[in-house]
Amino acid sequence: MRSRRLTPFLCGLPWLLTFVVFWAFPLLYSFVIGFTDYRLLQRGYEWVGWGNYAALFNDPDFLSALKNTFIFVVGTIPATTIISLALALMVNRQFRGRGLFRAGFFVPSITSMVVVGLVFTHLYSRGGYVAMLAAMVGFTPPVNGFLYESGTALAAIMAMDVWMAVGYYMLIFLAGLKSIPEELYEAAEINGASPLRQFFSITLPLLRPVTLFIVVINSIKSFQVFTEIFVMTRGKFDTSSAVYFVYEKGLTTSYDFGYASAAAYLLFVIIGLLSLAQFGLFKQRKELSW
Amino acid sequence: MTIGRYVILSAALAGMLFPFVWMLRVSLMPTGSIASESLISAAFTLSNFFDLFTQTNMGVYLFNSLATGIIVTIGNILFCFTVAYTLARYRTLTNRLLFVSVIVILMIPAHIIIIPLYLLCVKGGMYDNYWALILPWLVNPIGIFLVKQYIETIPQSMEEAARIDGAGELTILFRVMMPMCKPALAVLAIQVFFTHWNSFLFPYILTQSESVRTLPVGLAMFQGHQAIDWQHLMAGSTVAVLPVLILFVILQRRIVSGITAGAIKQ
Repeated sequence: MRSRRLTPFLCGLPWLLTFVVFWAFPLLYSFVIGFTDYRLLQRGYEWVGWGNYAALFNDPDFLSALKNTFIFVVGTIPATTIISLALALMVNRQFRGRGLFRAGFFVPSITSMVVVGLVFTHLYSRGGYVAMLAAMVGFTPPVNGFLYESGTALAAIMAMDVWMAVGYYMLIFLAGLKSIPEELYEAAEINGASPLRQFFSITLPLLRPVTLFIVVINSIKSFQVFTEIFVMTRGKFDTSSAVYFVYEKGLTTSYDFGYASAAAYLLFVIIGLLSLAQFGLFKQRKELSW
Repeated sequence: MTIGRYVILSAALAGMLFPFVWMLRVSLMPTGSIASESLISAAFTLSNFFDLFTQTNMGVYLFNSLATGIIVTIGNILFCFTVAYTLARYRTLTNRLLFVSVIVILMIPAHIIIIPLYLLCVKGGMYDNYWALILPWLVNPIGIFLVKQYIETIPQSMEEAARIDGAGELTILFRVMMPMCKPALAVLAIQVFFTHWNSFLFPYILTQSESVRTLPVGLAMFQGHQAIDWQHLMAGSTVAVLPVLILFVILQRRIVSGITAGAIKQ
């Protein structure tokens, strides 16, 4: 009979340990050292209060990393959402080769970001295929390639991220489309509603929960953009992101653990507030409860 | 299905797949120029792959990615299942609190703990060895959530019947419940393996030696070397992409249903 009481505890133990050791402790620890000047090769550390946070707001590198992260999020999310919805609508109906399109669009999102970054580094380089394509539509590509110019580097990385993500969100939209009852469209048809009207009055409102889900998980993910920047530009040419800043300050040259932890926490708070705001925004209209 | 739609979709598909075609083609090119005209006319060779495995640590990276990936996947199948089971079936106060912790961590962006996790690994003797690639990742909140949802759809009478028949807790857990959770666990296994296989940031910051580098980290480090050319870099990339692509083709249906299960939970 003892085993009956022990089982629930033992079963939960792996998560309890992981949670305490690898989540709760690091989160608390970095919160504490965010208020110190702790760094590598320094004996002990001093309490600096809100000093790190104050310094961050006066650090041009941090501010520009934060700005780039916002540009990244605000630029990629609408594009990714709209394109993935368009793709979902196009492959939703039954037709020949539908499975092939669906699978093909999805492939980039299961590929390693490092590989995608490497491939696009070449495609974006001087004389690369993207430059050729740009020239074909009458746009003069940057002389040194897209990634070596402050005006285009971040935009190029953003475009790549949209390319990579649309297939994944398309699948989620497809699942959402499938959950809309067919009768609604039949009723609309009988009442003479045009396809456009059906889209705006049935499809779009009923996709709100799925859209909310997509926007929230995509923005949480996008705020953490790091690998593509590491691989493609190492934060140069005005592409540094918030996580890249944390990495650069905390885990290269100066190993400024305290300062980097404060920056990470600030990012955490921003992401938290934004997801809350997004939930609020979408919930305002109450046709559908999430 | 209008022709216009086919044209748009085909153009989009070409755009989606072209980078992969380019990668594969360059990986098979002999050393020399990879200008656009040579994309079609250049010869085919496997020597880049041969060089990678004989002259670089590619074999080590591949082994590390595979070995830690398999261990982490098995760990997640086992532990996400047991945790999800207790959370779904034993509504004690501690389990309620445990579930809250799952939900909270589910929503926290992992990248914000890179500094403390790095320090923890350094001080705990996990830095720069396999432990750092395995131990923190053996169970994950999304997996627990997914399997818990699934277990809740299985009627409780299943376990009660087994209990009446005199089955012990272990038998119920692994002989009765686990086989019934197979669909959810398969989805979980695929997601965990893919994530681990592709992950870069954590393996990169938590290791330093060549002997424990994983594929994505090794590839990203290649790039810094002056000696490496695009042909070899793309051969390495192909090695990193091919297993995932093959698994995707085989397991397509499971993967798609997994993504959908995560999204439409309400």
